[in-house]
Formats: sequence, C-alpha cells, structure tokens
Amino acid sequence: MKLTKRLLMSVVALGIAGAMSGTALAADTIAIITPSHSNPFFKAEADGAAAKAKELGYATMVLVHDDDANKQNELFDSAIAAGVKAIILDNAGADASVAAVQKAKDKGIPSFLIDREITTAGVAVSQIVSNNYQGAQLGAEEFVKLMGEKGNYAELIGKESDTNAGIRSQGYHDVIDQYSEMKLVAKQTANWSQTEAYTVMESMLQAHPDIKGVISGNDTMAMGAYAALEAAGRKDVIVVGFDGSNDVRDSIKKGGIKATVLQPAYQQAQNAVEQADKFIKTGKTGLDEKQLMDCILINADNAAKLETFALAK
Amino acid sequence: MKITTLFVASLLAASVSGCKLVKTSNGEAGVAADPIAEVVETTFDAKLVPALTEKAVDLATLQNAINGSLDKAGESYGVRVGGAGGGWNFPVKGSATVIEENRASKAAVAEIDIDGDGKADATLQLGPVVKGSALRDTAGLYDFSTFRDQIEYAKLGRALNDKAVSKLPAADTALKGKKVNFVGAVVIRTASEKPLIMPVSIEAAP
Repeated sequence: MKLTKRLLMSVVALGIAGAMSGTALAADTIAIITPSHSNPFFKAEADGAAAKAKELGYATMVLVHDDDANKQNELFDSAIAAGVKAIILDNAGADASVAAVQKAKDKGIPSFLIDREITTAGVAVSQIVSNNYQGAQLGAEEFVKLMGEKGNYAELIGKESDTNAGIRSQGYHDVIDQYSEMKLVAKQTANWSQTEAYTVMESMLQAHPDIKGVISGNDTMAMGAYAALEAAGRKDVIVVGFDGSNDVRDSIKKGGIKATVLQPAYQQAQNAVEQADKFIKTGKTGLDEKQLMDCILINADNAAKLETFALAK
Repeated sequence: MKITTLFVASLLAASVSGCKLVKTSNGEAGVAADPIAEVVETTFDAKLVPALTEKAVDLATLQNAINGSLDKAGESYGVRVGGAGGGWNFPVKGSATVIEENRASKAAVAEIDIDGDGKADATLQLGPVVKGSALRDTAGLYDFSTFRDQIEYAKLGRALNDKAVSKLPAADTALKGKKVNFVGAVVIRTASEKPLIMPVSIEAAP
C-alpha cells in the first residue's frame, strides 16, 4: 500500500518534471516544495521561486507537501531520484523535516529553506525567514492602538509544529501583556486554516460575546474569523492578521479586517533561488545560513500599495 | 518470525543509539541553566559595550550623512539588517540635552536635543519596555545561525535590552534639563525618521 503510494507519487513528480523540462531538455532542474497553494502565501512563494528559476535558466519541479512530513519525505525521494540540482523548501515541521533535508544533502543536493526554519543548523545551505518576532510586535502595537489599549480579546494560533506559530504568539504577548487592561479571554489553535478558524471563532463568540478584538497568527485564520464575526453581525470586532495576503488587503480596503503584517514572501523565494544558483555555480552563497527579513505593517494607509506579498514603492 | 523480531530489535537498537548521540549534545547545552542569560552575561560588558563604543559614530555626524543619503550613511557607518523591509543599524554616541522625559509609559523615553535649537532630534529609550533588537543586531556579535530558532534569537534580543535597561538611570533620577553623554545603537529605515536609540549607557554631566 505504502509502496504503491510512493511509486505513484514519484511517477506524478517525474511527470511534472518531464513536462516542465520538455522545452529545455538540457536545463538543470530546481525543485520547489511548499505547503498547499490553497493558501495564497505559499502560492506566491512557489510563483516567486519558479519565476526566478526560469529567469536564471532552470527547469522547475513544483510540489506540495500539504504539511504532511511523510509526504514531504516522499517528495524529497522523488526530487532526489529526478536528479534536481537544488531544493527550495517551505517545510512541513521544524523537527520532522531535518531528516529529509539531511537525506538530500547526503546525496549532494543542497536545500534552501524559506519561511519556516528547521531546528538543526548546518543541514540546509540557507534558511531565509521573515523576522516573525519583529513582525508580530508591529502587528501587536497596531492591535493595542486599535483597541484603545484595553478590552477583551481572543488569539488564534497557528500549527504547533511550525516555529512561526510560537514566535508570533510570543511577539504578540511581549507587547500586549504590557497593557494591564488588555484581557486575553480565549486562545486556541486553528492550524493556519480558514475553515477551522471560522468554527473556532463561532464557539469563541458563544463563550465570550463581549469580545472586542481578535489577533490572528496568519491571514487565512483572520479571514475565517472575520467571516464568522460578519455572519454573527459582529463586524465591530477588531481583527488583525499576519502575512499580507491580497484577500486581507481587500478586506482592509473595505473596512473589514483592520491590519496585517506583510512578510516579503515573493522576494524571499526569489532570494532563495538566487542563493541556490550561486551555490550551484560556486559552491557557496557568501551569506550566513540563517537570514532574517523584516516585516512591514499594513493598514488602511498603505494597503492599496500591496500586491501579491510585495509592497510597491 | 524470530529473525524478523531480532532484525527489528537491532534496527531499533541502532536508531536508539543514534538518537542518544544527539541527545547527549543537547544535554550538555542544557547543563547551563539558561544559555541565553549566559550569552548576555559573558558578552554584554566584555564585548558588546566595547564594540559599540569603539565603532560609534557621533549622532550629529550621522544625521548630516543621513540628510545626504541614508544608503551612503549606512555604507559608511552602519550594517544592513533585515533585507528590503529592514533598515540600517548604526552604533551611535553623542552628547545632548534632555528636553523632555516621559516616565509615565512603560516604554519610557527621553527626548534629546543635539544641536541646541531646543527641538528634539532623537529619542533615547529608557525601558522597561524597549522596541526593536538594535543591540543584538548592530555589533555583528550574535549570529542567528548559531541559535536553535527565531524564538531563542528573539529571547536574546529581549535579554540584551533588559540588561541595558538595568544599567540606565532609574526612574528616580530626573534627566530633564540635564546634559547627557550616551552610547547605543539605532535602526534607521527612512531618512526622515527621528532616531529611536537604545542606549547601553547614559551619563549625566554633573
């Protein structure tokens, strides 16, 4: 059963590789592995990486692991079997992904991580991540300001296996907890998911109808929470997200969600491919393994300048 | 059947012993009660303060350079941190007059005038709540790659801020109207912003 599934996986993957490299048979291939593109953040990453790879003359093999470490492991096997020159990865778990990245490294295939870290250094060549702590503090400062520094609020947390869920929550609380009149009445994970956030928000509202604000660990959960609030006729509740998606941008412009924090996802993915290209050609990137990219607050003042995880100058 | 069991057992044994190797190195790191606190203790006075003091550019000089071009000022005196959304980090020093002091907020600050025109040219953070990680990022002493994850690295930023705050004049020392000498670090993202400096020392002139 497992074997069949694995074989099927690699057939699918090879099919993609074959199709992509059909035009330039001699081109080297870069694998781009991310969570599901149903979250526009990951789609922007994959698109950014693929566009840069194409620009630099590579074929691409674009795969999604759906936040399943076992599936990610199978995708790595496929990428290794396909003889890719590098792997761009937004991983499926800080601890669980180390082995897969190590396996590729042992086969001489370098990995360049974006968005999420793994917990072991020296396995990936680069780990380029958003400065989630700095970004969360920006979001929290705006949230506190919007709340008038007081009131009951709820927090939606991301997937526990992802370091970013913890760091954002910590960044939020390092700011919000300084204000004694800000009261956290509910705190729950919705696993980065829009539909889960909708359900969680519904029950939070039932338990705490006096809620005045919701701070969310990402934009898809913020969208789910806002939809539930809207359905309950509670558009007065202040919602702040994290990511800088076009969906939340549009909501901000309509006066729905109040703010988010832009992670430069598109640029981050492009940087990773540039570093991969340099590494393939010279054997080094000339940069530290772990690199932080700062985030930018998005609210009604600058939302119009936001497009696909990049801010126009 | 037996053979399979044996085989599985030996596989397990192999993986367990492989695991142990990793665990041991984790254990050694864990012996130090709080590795972040230890980093702060061993580097703050011995390395960070001397590095900032040695490299610090006079705030008046820096302001002039920034008025010309932030990027040129950055290349001359600073380090780039955080990519496009980030800014230039500068080690700074100066002597100035405190013209305003806000101790009511937990993010207490002193507004300082460096050119004597009676207007605030920059802000010194006094804590206990401090914004940013300029102390961690400016001197090039702390490499993110050597930390487990962002959470640990963020803790270091906060611990360095807390350590610096503990060395600054306490709330019962009024600074308003006094001439002070300071050394610290600052992040500048746009040429027009008023520098928000995190000091490692503020000495009031008698």
